[in-house]
Amino acid sequence: MSIEFRKEYFADERDDNLNEVGKPTQRQDALGHVTGRSPYFDDHLFDGLLHIRCVRSPHHHARIRRIDTSEAERMPGVVRIITGKDVPHNLNTLLSLLDFGLDDEPLLSDKKVAYKGEPVAAVVAETERAARDAVAKVRVDWEELPAVFDVEEAVKPGAPVVNEVYPKNLFVYHGRYDHQKLRYGDVEAGFRQADRIIEGRYQMSPIEQAPTETCGAIAAPETNDRYVVYTSTQALFFSLDTTSKLLKTPSNRLHFIGGTVGGGFGGKVDSLHEPMAVLGTMLTGRPCKYIFDREEEMQVGAPRGAERWYLKDGVMNDGRIVARKFVGYFDSGAYTRLSSYAIIKGVGHLPGPYTIPNVYADVYCVFTNRTPATAMRGFGITGVDFAIEAHMDKVAHEVGIDPIELRILNAYRDGDMKAHRRLAKNTALIECCQVAAEKAKWPISQAASQASSLRDGGGERGRLPAHTATDQNGLVTGFTAQSYAKKSRATQPSATPPPQMARHESAPVTPRVEQPRPQPVQPASAPPPPPAATEQRHTRFSSISGLRRR
Amino acid sequence: MPVKVETYDRVEEAARALSASRSARFLGGGTLVMRAVNAGDQSFDTIIRLRDPDFRTIRMQGDGLVIGAGVTMAALVANRDAAFLATVARVIGGPAIRNMATVGGNLFASGNYGDLAVALLALGATVQLAGSGSRSMPIDEFLRDRDRDRHATSLVQSVTVPRPRDPAAFRFTKVSRVKPKGVSLMSIAALLPQSGGRVQGARVAYGAMGPTPLRAIAVERALEGQALDAAAIDRAAALAVEGIAPPTDALASSWYRAEVAGVHLKRLLAGERR
Repeated sequence: MSIEFRKEYFADERDDNLNEVGKPTQRQDALGHVTGRSPYFDDHLFDGLLHIRCVRSPHHHARIRRIDTSEAERMPGVVRIITGKDVPHNLNTLLSLLDFGLDDEPLLSDKKVAYKGEPVAAVVAETERAARDAVAKVRVDWEELPAVFDVEEAVKPGAPVVNEVYPKNLFVYHGRYDHQKLRYGDVEAGFRQADRIIEGRYQMSPIEQAPTETCGAIAAPETNDRYVVYTSTQALFFSLDTTSKLLKTPSNRLHFIGGTVGGGFGGKVDSLHEPMAVLGTMLTGRPCKYIFDREEEMQVGAPRGAERWYLKDGVMNDGRIVARKFVGYFDSGAYTRLSSYAIIKGVGHLPGPYTIPNVYADVYCVFTNRTPATAMRGFGITGVDFAIEAHMDKVAHEVGIDPIELRILNAYRDGDMKAHRRLAKNTALIECCQVAAEKAKWPISQAASQASSLRDGGGERGRLPAHTATDQNGLVTGFTAQSYAKKSRATQPSATPPPQMARHESAPVTPRVEQPRPQPVQPASAPPPPPAATEQRHTRFSSISGLRRR
Repeated sequence: MPVKVETYDRVEEAARALSASRSARFLGGGTLVMRAVNAGDQSFDTIIRLRDPDFRTIRMQGDGLVIGAGVTMAALVANRDAAFLATVARVIGGPAIRNMATVGGNLFASGNYGDLAVALLALGATVQLAGSGSRSMPIDEFLRDRDRDRHATSLVQSVTVPRPRDPAAFRFTKVSRVKPKGVSLMSIAALLPQSGGRVQGARVAYGAMGPTPLRAIAVERALEGQALDAAAIDRAAALAVEGIAPPTDALASSWYRAEVAGVHLKRLLAGERR
């Protein structure tokens, strides 16, 4: 089937005389892949290569009383056994590189494990088999702890503490709240005004990225006291900086070489292998390889996390949605990794590609005794989009409106204000719906087929709500808003709540001109002036996370 | 601890070596054993191979077919006398697996594997053990004791399968999420010989519905003496998981298996192609 371009849409917003964009092009690595010549990290051979295998927790949650490596150390072929005390800085969170979140995860755990398969020791041996045999001889004295696997169970009082850095099993946002808030207008007022209320509960399971090549890295000593690392990472500099931090080694001593990734899909950003391979090389002076086997890839490799969403819509009898409320739970697993960020991204996306005057969201990043979750293809968006679109169908069914027409009726249009307080631009949902209906031979009304993203947006729809209802629900103490990566000292409890503006002081954002001031001080009666029309032109594509400096 | 490989030319020698060591594994096609070697399985340190040509032959014996335990799935597919088993052998693994996987090995395959053993159970096969304890036993008995470690040191020499008089009396279906090459969410084999329009001597077996392939006794009883009509099929399907506690694994929950078993059984009995 050939691609059909609908160039009649938005022709004046696009330059069709580009050399690459809009034209078929061959992937640069396609020839190598089909001829079997693409070099992967594991194709690099080193004389005297050592193999690293980890001793992993058989329990979902357990305290480590003692790790006895004496028998394993005497096994033939074993060169070195690494435990937590050998890791120079044995606590990290991936996004600390962006100053987001607290260090909460060791490279090798020495006190407690919080998910099945968590590594507590690593064997470096002459052969993979010798490493596996020695792993079987490491004796760990476990004290099993009660475990929690459900997000809503995990946030109940008295639930087992999964992650001691966040004792309530909830990530702390902006140093202030145990969830990410979105407040836009007043949903409760919207619900009162609505003809009917339609609620839904949606959830999805974790999904494994299942790459053909499992995650791994090879490190070797290099000249000038440097280390060379061949890795399957999807995020070379992320892995380099993480290694630098965990091993307290300046990044200019680390020579990282990436290249062909044998399938990533988000599962190769966690940078678990590079630090371990380099540490093995530091401790033995020899090249070391650390790679997941297939079972580890499935059990230990971080998946897309599970999500649960509660949606509540206030709907008029004609199908207009006037209020939408979300309560969401992301299952982060035992550690933060990237789930905290997925929520920021997801909340920026709410309420989906629709213009709804009152939107509310409380989204929780929850720690459970499951495998830590990480990136995968649009994570933070795909889950809630499933919930939103399933709910749109439910609304259409209950109100008795064609599901495509319901979407066109509520679709955002150019110039509309979105709930994250940026103006919608380059919107195309209406046109997508129209073409999908046409292709599926799905009849829609004349009004729906004549609607356009370019018309009837903006104006009233482009203004911020006159009043936004705010609250202090989920306020936490003991965390400071000054930096995401710092926990306040015990001597410095937040006795007086910081001034409202402090919430955003640390965020690395230069607010755009149209960005309204933080909502708590927003006087309900005085909406900010509408955005200058000229402003939109040179900021056509907004960053999804809202964190990018412009 | 390197793994040692011992190769024998005669089945008796291999059987003796296997029974003499508790840390030895017999290598059929290696699709299970080599995976365990690669995963660093600590429960064995010796691999025993056999290159006796008898071990890899299929021959007729009266009404039955004697299949050497070393016969591969590919050889079974290619054998004209074993045509009634070809439909089963053909859905096991992909071509590479079928070229290696053996009939004997399949009897020891657990979990979502072991589809051929399910068919052999429905067909009422007999298993021959080699060596000093050389003897035959019904496959029901063999499978019942399989995981109780009683056969860990026995070598299966061959399997004798009675050939169904009416080829249409034997039916098999494999339910998998990935096609082709997926493992079984469940498999169902049924032998439904008819006499005078009524089922006589029904045997119905499930795979991946318990720790080993097992028989659906309640279904067999419901079918026995009945004409295979819609009413009888409905009654049998309603009893699909009677007395059976399906497992929960990565492919499906116990609940799901229990829910869909009757549906798949009904389609198989009604002869519906899916």
